[in-house]
Amino acid sequence: MPSQTTTPYDIVASYRRLLSEDPDLTQPVAAIESLILGLANTPATTVSETLDLVSTLTAQLKAGIPNSISLSAGTDLFQQYLITNLQRPSARGDFDQIRSHLVQNGRLFVERAKAARADIAGYGRHFIRDGNTVLTNGGSRVVGALLRNAAESGNGRGRGTIRFRVIYVGSPSGCGKSASDNETAANIAALRERDIPVAEIPPTAIAYCMDTVTSCFVGAEGVVENGGIVSRLGTYQMAVLAKAAGKPFYVVSESHKFVRLYPLGQRDLGIDQRVVEFKTGKGVVVESARGQTDGEGGDSLVVGESKVDYTPPSFINGIITEVGVLLPSAVSEELIKIWF
Amino acid sequence: MPSATVGQTPSLSTYLKSLKHNDIETSIELFISLLKRRQIKNSRPCAIATISLLLRVVGEARTRDAQQLIERIRAVGRRLVAAQPREMAVGNIVRRVLENVREVAERDQDAADGGSEGSTSIPSTPIRGETMRRPAFPTKFSEFSPLHGAATIPQDMHARAPLATSGDSSPAFGGTMEAALQRPPLVSSNTSYAGQGPAASSLFSILQHPQGRSPYATPPTGTQSPALKASPFKGDEGQTSASEKLDIKAEVITSIQDLQKELEEVDDEISEFAQDHIHNNEVILTHTSSQTVQRFLMKAASKKRKFTVFHAEAYPNDHLETHATIVNGGGATAEDADERWKPLTSMGITVILIPDSAVFALMSRINKVILAPHTVLANGSLIAAAGASTIAQAAKTHRVPVVVLSGVFKLSPVYPFDTDELIEYGDPGKVVPFQDGEFMDKVDVVNPVYDFVDAELIDLYITNLGGHAPSYLYRIVADHYRVEDIDLSGKAEGGAVKAG
Repeated sequence: MPSQTTTPYDIVASYRRLLSEDPDLTQPVAAIESLILGLANTPATTVSETLDLVSTLTAQLKAGIPNSISLSAGTDLFQQYLITNLQRPSARGDFDQIRSHLVQNGRLFVERAKAARADIAGYGRHFIRDGNTVLTNGGSRVVGALLRNAAESGNGRGRGTIRFRVIYVGSPSGCGKSASDNETAANIAALRERDIPVAEIPPTAIAYCMDTVTSCFVGAEGVVENGGIVSRLGTYQMAVLAKAAGKPFYVVSESHKFVRLYPLGQRDLGIDQRVVEFKTGKGVVVESARGQTDGEGGDSLVVGESKVDYTPPSFINGIITEVGVLLPSAVSEELIKIWF
Repeated sequence: MPSATVGQTPSLSTYLKSLKHNDIETSIELFISLLKRRQIKNSRPCAIATISLLLRVVGEARTRDAQQLIERIRAVGRRLVAAQPREMAVGNIVRRVLENVREVAERDQDAADGGSEGSTSIPSTPIRGETMRRPAFPTKFSEFSPLHGAATIPQDMHARAPLATSGDSSPAFGGTMEAALQRPPLVSSNTSYAGQGPAASSLFSILQHPQGRSPYATPPTGTQSPALKASPFKGDEGQTSASEKLDIKAEVITSIQDLQKELEEVDDEISEFAQDHIHNNEVILTHTSSQTVQRFLMKAASKKRKFTVFHAEAYPNDHLETHATIVNGGGATAEDADERWKPLTSMGITVILIPDSAVFALMSRINKVILAPHTVLANGSLIAAAGASTIAQAAKTHRVPVVVLSGVFKLSPVYPFDTDELIEYGDPGKVVPFQDGEFMDKVDVVNPVYDFVDAELIDLYITNLGGHAPSYLYRIVADHYRVEDIDLSGKAEGGAVKAG
């Protein structure tokens, strides 16, 4: 059996398939699922083989997906989990059990991840009070769940008791109907159905309406080590405006999105996205390769809807996770717990 | 029998005296009525009264079982907190006592285990109860591993196997090895920081049994407690070892007395840091007649520092007391002669009384602002006497450091979702006297007693444990309170977090 590169198992294809099949799945969980499938497909009998396999698959996955920040949260979590479990002296006999547990309970992890979203929605409802106006970024399933939860009443039917309004910021490029656009449209429709007034504004109107806003809620693709977030392009802008206006800015994210990355700025994320592209009469000005991406053409270039930006922790008032409301300074502690 | 309280205004001292000869239910009712009528106010008196009451409650508790004790304290705590939700010191003390009880119970639990504390295991189990303060960070996966709860060595498990058979135990590793790799008793899986590393509540929870909340996160009060509490096997424990039970009550009483002592010594411990922060020829701004601040400044003065104090008078709620403090020193109404202290002026310090409106004008000449809060909230912001927010904002504009002196008992684990709710409104007659009838008819007069100051405006918190940045307070909260106690009303049901 091939030990190194598993020729039949294509983790990138598996990952993409999982994401497209289940619209409720987040990237880290899809990464974990695809790694588990990889484990299942490739019998490995020793601990070292397994760990080696996992790291190889992880490397393949990260190389194949242009924006690998979010999924690396999942892969790191999985790797650390395996390392801690498998590298203890008493782990000899447990290896098969762990492996079979992981392989058999793949769906369980997905369900837990989705349950986390429901838990967060339960917390978040305390943040929204009567008469509030909430500004949000759209495209985040967690925020949508939170707002829907706040809109619903205690007995689950009909109108809720909190009368609030929502302002959704539209997608920046206005390009077509992507998955996140559909998600946003569904959320807006659901809220309007429950008699919650929802307004849609272009990103250019954020500053204009900021004085009427009570608080901002955004989702994140990843929460980085210093408590900042990596999120879709436009989030940082909203955070800066919110801070300038003195409005609280909350991030809503499951805890499995914590990633061990410490960016010092927008261009320190480790991904290649040409947000600012200079052109002259002679064509596009190509910057010298910084060795961030391998020359696989368009594959490693983040395009369109998937562009992200980094919001530093000083702009964030709180991170709402399923384990409670964390201050940005507490994020590193959570990460240290699994890494050290 | 009527005591000397007849004819005296009910207050903290009368309450403490009456505690001695009233039965428990009467004492609780009395305290509740004092709280509701605001005859007992401000954090420290409320804290002292709460702890004396709880001491009696625990002393008279008939039960030997820790879990029942916890329930009893929670029940009393619920009523007290409901009487006056804005006096957060009451809830803080209740939660501290609960944390002590749980810790004592866990210590006894381990003693019952025969001390098989996994000394040979990697990760090594910390000896519970010894780490009263923050344990050092481990350099490898050890007690802080969330997996530690699930991945202990077999001999550790055998000792605990008969106990950890509750239905909650997860299929961590296929669920078939009850003896070998069963998840250990729930006590170790959701203990907070003070007793052990924050286990199993964090990021690995997705791959295992989700345990509950991170002790670093502050859950909202309205939600339910995490699924797993120490309760299921505590019941079993009660039957097996009766000898440990005797210890629990006595130990809890001892720890409550320690807490009482901490309350008494709070000011002294904070004053220890006075020398580091107040230097010669400095100009300090302060506000209200807070005992803590006065003692802090007195300590610096006694170390022969010569400085100037600008004292904002906190009109209309505290100005008379402030004047009295400046002129006469403190504790004039205290019966205990020890509690009085000389005025700052008698120690050669220049004290300048200013109206609150002058704060911004003078701020450019101030070196340091020292404030005392009513409550400190979990995200580093605070509730202080009205006027504090103005002072803090003026200080920010002029880049003047703001130092807040607060005992740890004022630190509340509750996350402030709506800060407006925490502000109490007092007697508007102090702003515009009621005699001014015409004016009162046409104008709405409000008198907020407290102010909310955001965490960003504060530079340093000095507590009895030392100095901390506002962003660090979550850690102190995690050290002193248990996540499951934050919501006193929730029962041990798996509302928020459950297995798959």
